[in-house]
This record gives sequence, C-alpha cells and structure tokens, in this order.
Amino acid sequence: MNHEHKNHEMKNMKTINSHHHDEPVEDEEIKSWKKKLIFSWLFTIPIAIFMFSGRLFGIEILPESWMVPILLVLGFPVLFIFGWSTIKGGMRGLFTFYFNMDSLIALGTIVAYLTGFLSFIGIVDDYSGVAAMIMAFFTTGKYVEAVARGRASQEIKKLLELGAKKARILKNNQEIEIDISEVKVNDILIIKPGEKIPTDGIIVKGESSVDESMVTGESIPRDKIKGDNVIGATINQDGILYIKATKIGKDTFLAHIIKLVEETQSEKIPIQKLADKITSIFVPIILVVALLTFFAWLIFSNDLSRSISIGIAVLVIACPCALGLATPTALMVGSGMGAKRGILIKKGEAIQTMKEIKIIVLDKTGTITKGKPEVAEVYPKEKEKNLFEIAASLEKNSEHPIAKAIVSYAESIGLKKYKEVKNFKILRGRGIEGKIRGKSIVIGNRTLMNERKISLKKFEETIKNFENFGYTTMVISENKIILGAIAVADALKEDSVEAIKKLKEAGLRPIMITGDNEATAKAIGEKVGIYEILANVLPEEKANKVKELQEQEKKMVAFVGDGINDAPALKQSNVGIALGTGTDIAIESGDIVLAKGSLIGAVQAINLSKATFKKIKQNLFWAFAYNTIAIPLAIAGVLHPVVAEIAMALSSITVVTNANLLRRKKID
Amino acid sequence: MKKYKITISGMHCSSCASNIEKSLKKVPGVKNANVSLMLKKGTAECDDKVSEDEIKKAVARTGYKISNMEKE
Repeated sequence: MNHEHKNHEMKNMKTINSHHHDEPVEDEEIKSWKKKLIFSWLFTIPIAIFMFSGRLFGIEILPESWMVPILLVLGFPVLFIFGWSTIKGGMRGLFTFYFNMDSLIALGTIVAYLTGFLSFIGIVDDYSGVAAMIMAFFTTGKYVEAVARGRASQEIKKLLELGAKKARILKNNQEIEIDISEVKVNDILIIKPGEKIPTDGIIVKGESSVDESMVTGESIPRDKIKGDNVIGATINQDGILYIKATKIGKDTFLAHIIKLVEETQSEKIPIQKLADKITSIFVPIILVVALLTFFAWLIFSNDLSRSISIGIAVLVIACPCALGLATPTALMVGSGMGAKRGILIKKGEAIQTMKEIKIIVLDKTGTITKGKPEVAEVYPKEKEKNLFEIAASLEKNSEHPIAKAIVSYAESIGLKKYKEVKNFKILRGRGIEGKIRGKSIVIGNRTLMNERKISLKKFEETIKNFENFGYTTMVISENKIILGAIAVADALKEDSVEAIKKLKEAGLRPIMITGDNEATAKAIGEKVGIYEILANVLPEEKANKVKELQEQEKKMVAFVGDGINDAPALKQSNVGIALGTGTDIAIESGDIVLAKGSLIGAVQAINLSKATFKKIKQNLFWAFAYNTIAIPLAIAGVLHPVVAEIAMALSSITVVTNANLLRRKKID
Repeated sequence: MKKYKITISGMHCSSCASNIEKSLKKVPGVKNANVSLMLKKGTAECDDKVSEDEIKKAVARTGYKISNMEKE
C-alpha cells in the first residue's frame, strides 16, 4: 500500500469514526457540579476568612455589626443559586414525603442560614456562615463522587458507545455512507482496513484479520475468510471486507451484551437488600433523630445555639449515600472489568454465590475440548471405503459433531455418493440407526451395542485401545454383525490444562461430565488433570447429576458448559457458566456468560466474582461503620456541623474510590 | 405483562433511586421496579393497562424527569 493511499484510508476511517463523541450524561453531571463547586467556594472562602480571622488570629477584618449581614449576603448565592438544585430537591422531598439525601442537607443549611436573621434579635448565635460552608463542602463531595462514579462506569460506557454510527453500503455498484440505523438485513456493507465493522454479518467477499478484543476479550485478532461470521463493532485490520448484514439493531451481539450488562446493573443482589431497606427509611429516621437531639440538648443544656448546631450536625453527618453506593459501584467496576475480558455477569447474584462454590462440573465436549471432533483412527473389517459408505450415509442425517466428523472424513477419502437410508433414528447419547437396502444398521457406542445384544468379541481389544487413547469409539454394525470401528478424537482447547490447574489452585474440585464411556473419559481426564469423572452421562441426565452432587455433597456446585445441550444443567447448578463461541452465544442459559470459548475465562470469572463480592462487603462494612460511629458522635455534640459535613462527603467518596480500587485486583 | 425501560435525569444519590423505585411500585399494576443510579436507567415491569403517562407521573412525583422511554 503506498503512502498516499494509506492517507486516504485514514481519512475515511476518520469520517466513519468521527460521530462518536456524543456528550455522555455523566460528563454533564460532573461539569455542572464543577461549576457549582467553583462558584460556591468563591463566596465561601471570604466567609471563612471573616469567620475565622477573628476567632483564630484575633484580627477583626470587619466591624462586629457588619459581620452577620455580610455573611448572609455572601451565603445567599451559595445556598439559593449554586445550591438551588439541592435545596429545591430536598424541600420537595420534605413536602412530598419522598425524603432524600438532599432533604437533610437542605434542612440543615436553611436552619443554619436562618440563625443569621434570628441573631439580630439576639436569641441565637449566627450560623449563616456555617450554612454556606456546609453547602460548599457538600457540592465538593458531590463533584468528587461524580468523577469517581464516572470512573467506575468507564468500561461500561465504552461498551455502550462501541457500536458503529455509520456504514458504507454498496448500492448499484456505488459506495455510499449511510447512518447505521438505515442498514437493513441482507445489505452488502464494505469495510476498509482500520474501520469498524458496522453490524453482525457474514463475509461474502475478501479476507482479513479482525480484532474482536473489544467484544469477546480475545486479544489475538482472528483471521476471517469468505463465509465467516463477523461481529459488529469489531475492527477490521488489514483487508477490505464485503459483508452481508445478518443482524441489525437490537439483535446484534453487541446489543445483547449491552442489554445483559444493563440488566445486571439494575438488578439487586441479596447482600444489598438490607442496605437498600435502610437507605429507604434512613432519611426520615435521621430527621426524627435530629429533632430529638435538638430538644434533648435544649432541655438539658438550655443552650439554644448549641442545640441548633448539634441538630444541624446530626442532619448533615448522616450518609445514606455511602450505603446506597456500596454495591452498585463495586458491581459496576466488576462487570466493567468482566466485559473488557468477554466475561458477562448476567445474574448479579452469581457474584455472591460464587464464593460458596466448592465443586465445579465441567462438560467435556466443547468446554474442555474444542468440540470439533475428527476421525483419528479407523479399524475396518474389510475396506475402509465400504465402511464409510455405510457410516456416512447414516451419519449424514445427524447434526451431531461426531456425525459431522465421520461425514467430513468420508468426503476426504473421496466418497461422493450416499446410500438411501430408511427408518433413520437418533438414539440420544448412544448413536444412530437406520436401514440401508433392508439391512438394519446400528452405529454407536458400547452401550448401544450391548443394548442391541451385538457381540463386540473380535473388536474388544481394538475398542479398548481406542478408549485408552481417549478416543470416542463408534462401532458400525450391519444386521448385528460388526463391520468396523471408527475412533473420533476431540482435541483439547489450548488453555484447558492451565485453566484446570488454576481451578484447583483456587480450591475447587473439578469434575468432568461426559457422554463418553469410562475409559475414554478417563484418558481425557488424565490429559487435563481431572481425576473425578462422571462418564456415560446422557445429555438430559446432566442436570440430574448436578442435583445429585448438590444433595450428596451438600455443597454449592458450578457448571461450565457451552449451553447448547446442557442448558438444564447450567440452570440446576448454583452458578452456571456458559461458554460462548463467537456469535453463537448461549446468553439465555448461564448466570455468567463468556463471550470467548476458553476455559481460562471461567477461571477469570470466578476470580472476578470473588473479588467483586469482597469489595461489596468491604464497602458495606465501611458505610455501616461510618454511620454507626458518626451519628452518635454528632448526637453527643462533639462534632462541629462543618466537620460533620466533611466527614459525610468523605464517606461517599471513600466507598466509590474503594470500588474503583477493584481494578487493581489481578484476576487473570 | 410489559416492561418500560426509562432513562432518568437529575438523580445524584442512591436515595433518589430508591425513591423512584418506591414511587413506581406504588402505581397500580406495576409489579416490579428497578432503578440504577449508576446507569441513570430504570425498568418497570407492569400489567398491560399501565400507561406511559402513569410511569412518567410516578417519576415526576419524586422530582426527576424521564429523558427517554422504551416499551418492551
């Protein structure tokens, strides 16, 4: 590619990607708090100087009689202009009985401000300066909190904004750029190198490698050729691709992921329920407590000013926010970290359950192994071709991976014509049967042969050998006479061994579940390091096996499967982890869904869940501890209202910042 | 059963979110309501008879605005 051409390409890329900067909502919020913060302090700093210069350094800047009026004038905009949204919201809450955090601040600051006027008639000291300071600190706290919350959701926000905005479509042999919303299924789209693939589709022309890391967490770009599926929002690396759009709008892979993440975020996990309950009754309780504190102090100390000050401290120190933010912020950071790695936590509850998991049941096919079996060895009684002529004719009718392996092998040895099959039947988990020219053909495993009373005698040794290699062995029989055996091998996924090692290190007991017979299963188990095996399990029995484990061992059981035929087992388990492969993601069946198909993802998901839950617990602890210590201190009258407000702001900030610290945790 | 997905503006604390939830749940016919402060979004699962307007009012009652609404 020459330089000029490249430049041109870059320009194109820009036009396509330049529509990405819609102002996110969060930034608006931060901006608005920042503005309020600056202006509040502009007026509050002079207030502080006037108030403390006399008290601390003995310098009277203002004559005594000017002091209060000036504080009232300076404080007014802080409360009623820059703090207006808080005052308004809080007051509205007080009148409609939907009390919120603002209600406490509004009440506290307004009461403090009014003491300024009351001080003219000499019944109380002036606290109007304190009102402005409380509001200024509150605004500061809100700003910092908004920034931290923004950080907590950065990965998710990135995900939400990931979708392409424009697409280049081929119409009447002309390339035109259209809005993504105008793309229809079956449209032919053109994607140049460096550009984002606009929507899910299938390649009709061209080849390239595609970076899917943003969606699946898979870091190595995947090579794609004609006929391969591509995922919208992934980046085309080096070739020009022509794709036919297969899914648009809400049906795309990305849209599904976003929906999942959003649902998790708005779902309540059990541990949060108590905190939520407290949050919802917290404010009215504090209002009552503040009032009681005020009267108690008034009665016992007979000091109106001090009683007011203490009442205000109680109002502003109480922080329902820290309680309310504890779980959602940690969950937000956790699910963001997951999304980046292609781990989608579908059910928030799974995070809480995960730490109780002791046993992890792993499906063999498609989970530990690639799920793409190939014919490894053939042992025909006569000619190989004859054997496959019969086997492939029958297997052609099945969608089973083993059937596909046999058919594709048959094609590779030059078989083109198939025989007519009658009475074809699939015997789930065991094999198939049918009739060819009136002869009854049964193809299947040992169990099926025994069932049909077909003697394995002469083949016994061969079959045993195959099994000891970890091969799945299919025996082909015609009218109860064996014609031969085909050994099918399903290669391990590259990182299965490592993943299982890590699972064990994490203290989990891995168990492999498979439809294979004992010997085959054992051989594979040995290769990956799993010594507990549930063999000969029919697909529909998997859920039952999980249930048995749960009951017998009285332990929480996780199940890892590809979600294709093990959906009931995923459901039955305490935490179901569904492995996806590319676009065929089994979203419905798992509590946690992995966009990439590797077992390492399951390890990461487990680590991430545990780390996130630990964070949530920490946060809730801090929030509870803060309130149970700070409120009594305020009631006892040892905290100045401004100090109380600073403490309150810090408690919210601590919780959100702590949630952000989750990112430091190594989960890989 | 249907589901309203709403985007809410003006929320800035978790009691805001729980207030909106409470208010939504009070609407006759609303079975479940969830509001996320972090996403500024919420959902309300309700009977078919519950109108968009009722949902809007329930949110407005607590002092917040719906900036976007989708039905599912």
